Amino acid sequence: MKKGLSIFLAIIFVLSVALAGCGGGTTDTTTKPSEQASDKPAAEVQKTLVFGRGGDSVSLDPSQVTDGESLNVTKNIFDTLIDYKDGNTEIQPALAETWESSADGLVWTFKLKQGVKFHDGTDFNAEAVVFNFNRWMDPANEYHQGDFPYYGYMFGGYKGDEGHVIKEVVAKDEFTVEIQLNAPQGPFLNNLAMTPFAIASPEAVKKHKDKFGEHPVGTGPFVFVEWLPNDKIVLDKNPNYYKTGFPLLEKIIFKSIPDNSARFTALQSGDIDMMDGVNPDDVTLAEGNENLQVWLRPSMNVGYLAFNTEKAPFDNPKVRQALSMAVNKQGLIDAFYNGLAEPAKNPMPPSLWGYNDSITDYEYNLVKAKELLAEAGFPNGFETDFWYMPVPRPYIPQGKKIAEAMQADFEKIGVKVNLRTEEWATYLDLTGKGEHSMALLGWTGDNGDPDNFIYVLLDKDNAKGPDAGNIAFYKNDALHDILIKAQQSSDEAERTKLYEDAQEIIHNDAPWVPLVHSTPPLVGKKNIKGFNPHPTGSDKFTEVHFE
Amino acid sequence: MSQLQHKVETTFATIPKKESLWLDAWKRLRRRKLAMLGGGIVLFFIILAVLAPVLTPYPYDGAELSQRFIKPMEEGHWLGTDDLGRDLFTRIVYGAQISLRVGFLAVVGSIIVGTYLGLVAGYYGKWIDMIISRVFDIMLAFPSILLAIAIVTILGRSLTNALIAIAIINVPTYGRLVRSKVLSLKEEEFIMAAKAIGMKNWRIIYHHLLPNSMTPIIVQGTLGIATAIIETAALGFLGLGAVPPTPEWGTMLADSKDYIQLAPWTVIFPGLSIMLVVLGFNLLGDGLRDALDPKMKQ
Repeated sequence: MKKGLSIFLAIIFVLSVALAGCGGGTTDTTTKPSEQASDKPAAEVQKTLVFGRGGDSVSLDPSQVTDGESLNVTKNIFDTLIDYKDGNTEIQPALAETWESSADGLVWTFKLKQGVKFHDGTDFNAEAVVFNFNRWMDPANEYHQGDFPYYGYMFGGYKGDEGHVIKEVVAKDEFTVEIQLNAPQGPFLNNLAMTPFAIASPEAVKKHKDKFGEHPVGTGPFVFVEWLPNDKIVLDKNPNYYKTGFPLLEKIIFKSIPDNSARFTALQSGDIDMMDGVNPDDVTLAEGNENLQVWLRPSMNVGYLAFNTEKAPFDNPKVRQALSMAVNKQGLIDAFYNGLAEPAKNPMPPSLWGYNDSITDYEYNLVKAKELLAEAGFPNGFETDFWYMPVPRPYIPQGKKIAEAMQADFEKIGVKVNLRTEEWATYLDLTGKGEHSMALLGWTGDNGDPDNFIYVLLDKDNAKGPDAGNIAFYKNDALHDILIKAQQSSDEAERTKLYEDAQEIIHNDAPWVPLVHSTPPLVGKKNIKGFNPHPTGSDKFTEVHFE
Repeated sequence: MSQLQHKVETTFATIPKKESLWLDAWKRLRRRKLAMLGGGIVLFFIILAVLAPVLTPYPYDGAELSQRFIKPMEEGHWLGTDDLGRDLFTRIVYGAQISLRVGFLAVVGSIIVGTYLGLVAGYYGKWIDMIISRVFDIMLAFPSILLAIAIVTILGRSLTNALIAIAIINVPTYGRLVRSKVLSLKEEEFIMAAKAIGMKNWRIIYHHLLPNSMTPIIVQGTLGIATAIIETAALGFLGLGAVPPTPEWGTMLADSKDYIQLAPWTVIFPGLSIMLVVLGFNLLGDGLRDALDPKMKQ
């Protein structure tokens, strides 16, 4: 009987908690914690910024990684020779003050900034730049330990590979570097501005060798202090930063809180100051909270549904077109992006040059879709598998929900899809090998060049396992010729034309359903100033401060 | 005390009219208000589950994106709608089917395998007992949900595999229960007598040991359904159970936890359903134990 009583009390307790939750209403729960938070910094201006994010960094050696969570941190420890301007992918000087190229585009000369020091006190000079390039590109170099994936990817492999773009990097004098190319490369300067190609301190690399990623030393606005895996990374102000008077913050802490709603709760309660990876629906709550502000990152991504064109029935273009007509893109955007996205009709975002706006997207029309499916030989539809990603991505924040919504529409034209997912690393691995029939995936651009989308994601060069970038395994020789031609040209007008043609071909073959170009939101305290989210997803916090 | 126990059990074993035992138990059960409350809750959910297609005009799957997050008691949705615009009441009712079915089948599976192994281990003893009992010990050394996660990971994600995993992890519970019961029964005179008159081993096991071990199994099984339902929900919450759009309660909880501030009802109702069903089975199980096994009463 005693046990019975305790159970009874437990019911009362649980019910009262649940009912209190019901009655409280949403406004009450959101405003209360933030009021407490705003009381705190009233005395003096806050100098430490805690940035909440979904995952931990992989390594803090920017040349070794491709993931956003790593690059977002290294962006603040290191500088590149050339940097992007605020809010777009036009280039501006950084560690290199000026540059010029020879008439044939094969020799580039960079004049470096003088008087810049690495965090360890050593000098930044032409020798340091040469050291870094040799480390990235020369497999025979004793400090070439690791994969250097992005280098190989953007510059056609490594020294000795056929198609390697960079021939040699030479220090002409203490502050002049000459880069000699094997062939001209259209997006060369834009590539150099990418966060992975940041200049590291040669002394620190020599000292830490393959452990450099745990002891990063650069010239950037912040100095690495400590890294507690899966918890936080702490950076301190670099007092000798070459931009005098900057950075304005004393300290940045990158804190990992995997769950989006838990991170948002932490922001509301004042445990963190700003965050990315906001659930689109939470943006509404943030907008209604007078202590918070919302930033929108300019869109440079695409979320898509790829058909595995090597598997029946998706080897039939009509089937792919029919399914393209059964996707309600605007409906998905209204429901899962809170309107913070636009429907995609091309594999690259409209903010990039070379975007073909004359293409008309497949209309959302289930009747026509069913007709086309019948024409393709499937009047009764078919059954197949549909993979969705298990983690929120900036381009598809809720893979499962989108998959369920699309599943309902496909069902209406007779296509029964079985939803499937895997743990994220396995998901990338298996889709890269082509085990899926249909899979959701997406891409955030790195350098603002169409090549970075179309060649990477849809060229036949990248349609090979085990880690295909082209998970539609779409192979079109005409497209391949166009893309290679565009890669080798440095005439932007010509390249524009080529990429427009490429998008036409892709639209007709429909290897993907391009779904959306999203505008990822960030939320932070109202008194944060000077933050300007960059389309590449990596932000420098040099000018960020509290008011 | 031991004499009394002795007497009761021998009486049970030889009693001619079985109904009277159950009738007697039922009378005792009816006197326990909490047990009846538990039984009522269970019955309520069983009725919901059976009548699901009649109770609601909406489908549990599909998506109506224009109908997202309708508040409870508005626009004809008793419990509101979820993030895909599906009627929450419909999903909970169909979810009751799933939870009850998985809970029941998993427990039946555990009982069949566990009872068999327990009978064999208890009756034959020696090395057979040694092997079976050590395997049980090894399985019990793992936190059960961890073992279930490992099994589902190996078998692949689906509701059936979750059911199998839950059945497997609970086998030792029933196995050990039956084994200990058999160990004590084995020394009873009626078993000795059966042996003495040359009755075959399998006949002793099925006709004497099995029926006399059923009472604790029924009690444990009722409580076990509650555990199995929680474990199903836990696996679903971790993304290892039902595949979308199956309206499994744990999966529903996981899916709506992102909206806990925006649409709290999408989290509260599935959570409340899990709590109520589990509570129902626990109360009923406690009552059954008292009713079926009067000597266990303190």
